[in-house]
Amino acid sequence: MDPLLLGGLVALATVIVLFSGVSVAIGLLIVSAGFLLVFDGARSLQLMPEILFADLNNFTLLSIPMFIIMGASIASTRAGADLYEALERWLTRVPGGLVISNLGACALFAAMSGSSPATCAAIGKMGIPEMRKRGYPDGVASGSIAAGGTLGILIPPSVTMIVYGIATETSIGRLFLAGVMPGLLLVALFMAWSIFATWRSGDGKVLAYTPYSWKQKVEILPRVLPFLVIILGVLYAMYGGIATPSETAAIGALLCLLVAVAIYKLWSPKALWTVLRDSTKESVMILFIIAAAGVFSYMLSSLFITQSVAAWIADLEVNRWVLMAIINVFLLVAGFFLPPVAVILMAAPILMPIITASGFDPIWFAVILTINLEIGLITPPVGLNLYVINGIAPDIKLKTILWGSMPYVLCMVLAIVILCIFPGIATWLPSAVMGQGL
Amino acid sequence: ELRLSHQWSDNDVRHKVAQMVADEVAAADVDLDIKIFGNQSLFKAREQYTPLSRGQLDMTVLPLSYAGGQQPAYNLTLMPGLVKNHDHAARLTSSPFMDELEKIMAEDDVMVLVHGYLAGGFAGKDGCATTPEQLKGKQTRAAGKAFEQMLAGAGASIASMASSEIYNAMQTGVLDAANTSSSSFVSYRIYEQVACYTPPGDYALWFMYQPLLMNKTTFEGLTQEQKDALMAASEKAQAFYLEEAKKEDGDSREVFKNAGVQIDEMTEETFKEWQAIAKETSYKDFVASTPDGQKLLDMALAVE
Amino acid sequence: MAGQTPGTHHARTGGNPFLRAVAGISTVSGWIAAAMIVAAVAITCQMIFIRFVLNGSTIWQTEAVVYLMIAATLIGLPYVQHLRGHVNVDLVPMALPMGARRALAFLTMAAGIAIVAVMLWYAWEFWHFAYVRGWKSDTVWGVALWKPYLALPVGLALLLLQLIADLVALVLRHDTPFGLDAT
Ligand code: NA
Ligand code: NA
Repeated sequence: MDPLLLGGLVALATVIVLFSGVSVAIGLLIVSAGFLLVFDGARSLQLMPEILFADLNNFTLLSIPMFIIMGASIASTRAGADLYEALERWLTRVPGGLVISNLGACALFAAMSGSSPATCAAIGKMGIPEMRKRGYPDGVASGSIAAGGTLGILIPPSVTMIVYGIATETSIGRLFLAGVMPGLLLVALFMAWSIFATWRSGDGKVLAYTPYSWKQKVEILPRVLPFLVIILGVLYAMYGGIATPSETAAIGALLCLLVAVAIYKLWSPKALWTVLRDSTKESVMILFIIAAAGVFSYMLSSLFITQSVAAWIADLEVNRWVLMAIINVFLLVAGFFLPPVAVILMAAPILMPIITASGFDPIWFAVILTINLEIGLITPPVGLNLYVINGIAPDIKLKTILWGSMPYVLCMVLAIVILCIFPGIATWLPSAVMGQGL
Repeated sequence: ELRLSHQWSDNDVRHKVAQMVADEVAAADVDLDIKIFGNQSLFKAREQYTPLSRGQLDMTVLPLSYAGGQQPAYNLTLMPGLVKNHDHAARLTSSPFMDELEKIMAEDDVMVLVHGYLAGGFAGKDGCATTPEQLKGKQTRAAGKAFEQMLAGAGASIASMASSEIYNAMQTGVLDAANTSSSSFVSYRIYEQVACYTPPGDYALWFMYQPLLMNKTTFEGLTQEQKDALMAASEKAQAFYLEEAKKEDGDSREVFKNAGVQIDEMTEETFKEWQAIAKETSYKDFVASTPDGQKLLDMALAVE
Repeated sequence: MAGQTPGTHHARTGGNPFLRAVAGISTVSGWIAAAMIVAAVAITCQMIFIRFVLNGSTIWQTEAVVYLMIAATLIGLPYVQHLRGHVNVDLVPMALPMGARRALAFLTMAAGIAIVAVMLWYAWEFWHFAYVRGWKSDTVWGVALWKPYLALPVGLALLLLQLIADLVALVLRHDTPFGLDAT
């Protein structure tokens, strides 16, 4: 059978199987096994456990649970609330100070956590009730946190950047740096929309400032200190010659656990177990998808689908920006249904040759890809952050959260456009810090 | 249709060798199609030998030492000081030593189509990494178990990481020195990070045997015409492989020199010095952990 | 529309002894997986300390950490299944009436059990192959590979057990299809 036609069949089967409600990882295994059995014979089926093992057999993957532990341990303390409170006391004269502070806190928290749901939960637990109490519209309160939480995978460290780095053999140190300025750009866009939306909702006094005395401003500062210690410690370990990025994650996890225990008194075994349980749950879920996606991509490659699709797209002879637009739409749609890690693993082998052949920078593309996947985190049907918010604030209707998030989706689309016009926003920092190089 | 898997990109010499065999066989018109899966798109680099030996994969271009955990004898194909230069390597591939290795491969239902060695060197971040004295106390990344043992014997500290991580590790100072293949030194742009490079020349320590292998049962199932075409293609590819291997070393020397990196030569004296350390470390461990280890080692050392 | 359900939703046992036993086994697996992750953090930090502070050699650490992570993932599978932590798309099941939803749940569970059973079989075969042939890793440490490979059959077997328990819970109506409450 023609590999392209076969590819279409695989796509169709995958959509059907995944929509049946089976878990994503097992669904990928089922589709892979089915096609291998029919088109490749039993000898390939026999290989599945070996491939599963081989795909996990990578030191870099270690950083995924580590960066998740970082976020989870801090998220289980009141550190997130401290962070946005401190920001609010200092940003009090800025209109919409509270929502601005929450978004700023999301960005700072993202610099410690590799995953988006953790970022969302950490800031949202206190931030959303506080914003609602002070009269911010529900849509802004929940939407800003859902969107702010997605920064977890753009601002380093980032689980998806790690997976991208492994899949494409790109430097993870560079990828991390590439996410910094686009992350700040997104924060700025989110803040701008939040202020506008609050102002438009007509409750002007929400935007007026709450007075804080200098004493109040100064006394909260020590509570932000642990964050600075962790972030600077991790940055120093990563770029100061102590450890490679994947090893650094372990230092970060240890630092966060220590800070949580020593400063936030997280020493009851039950509380510690909750942190570990949540981290284990999220890590195993992601790593199982990684392994299953490995089997899936073995199937695609074995049936020559990957190679044929890549060659087909490369032969399209369209303008490179049209191509980029098509790729973005594809990623966006994939992101609606699949968790970020699965999208990267399945798309990278097909897209990478095309990206480099059309002269796009793989580091820059990583940022575009990540923002696309961030959108997927706050859109149905699989929008992990939406469910986190739903868990934190069960009395806000899912519909309100959804509509509240939509404008932030547009902010992200705008950011992608800006990055296409000014790719330097992503590529400047890695080049400046680490040289032109790879 | 035969499936060939390897871990390299399209412009790597090992891909070109595979492509050459595929093209020649196709041109022979014997109804045999070799499909190449490069870039680890089918199997991960280190996971190719097992499917090859079980007939789940037909062909691969593979550093044989990757399977050293399955057949300890293969560790001799990445052993410091056994090969001096490429001409020596070529003599080794047609020696009784290689016949012994091929017997062991046959036990795993594996056979060689194209023999070939690739060489590599050493590079130091702040100074040369040529002699044992220079590497003492340095955080070093080495390619291969036997090299790690030898370097540790010289007092270097061993840090294990993938060759793709060398650049960053050098830049941030995690690493002081590294050993890898000539082509990796160039493709990972290590010349941007080092002060001194010791390329393979008249003498080199690091030679890795990276043949084109095939599943033996699959080969035997071919028609005589197909076998002949495959063997003819392989012979042609082997000559090409040797020339390219030599050229790669020369190219790496040029690239580093042009980047302003100091080039240091390995002398016969230094080579002997390293070999003496290897005898006490890697050779010793090899003999202790391999059935018939001493015999195989002697056979390899006997090749002039 | 639910996807990964936050909070502490997990498989319901309804007091059935078999289901409770499996839940217990899965929970212990979760503890082991978590302990392995913690051990991986500790070993990595130890490695950085040896290399950066003592300027010493680090021979076995990266490999040990990788094997721990693989084992943690595989052994953790049943626990995450028990916690309903494997993300899924349940738009269609939610839209279906109860009868059809139940039928679809049976179908997906049976397919899941079948694929895991097949993989368990080949995983066992692979493990056995490595054991009989005495394979080792090709590093200075040279671990006998049957040890890390053991995580494959064990993890998949435990996952299979939890999946079967989930199916039983559905049959006995101790748990709802896809863990969704009637709407
Ligand atoms: Na982050
Ligand atoms: Na989505």
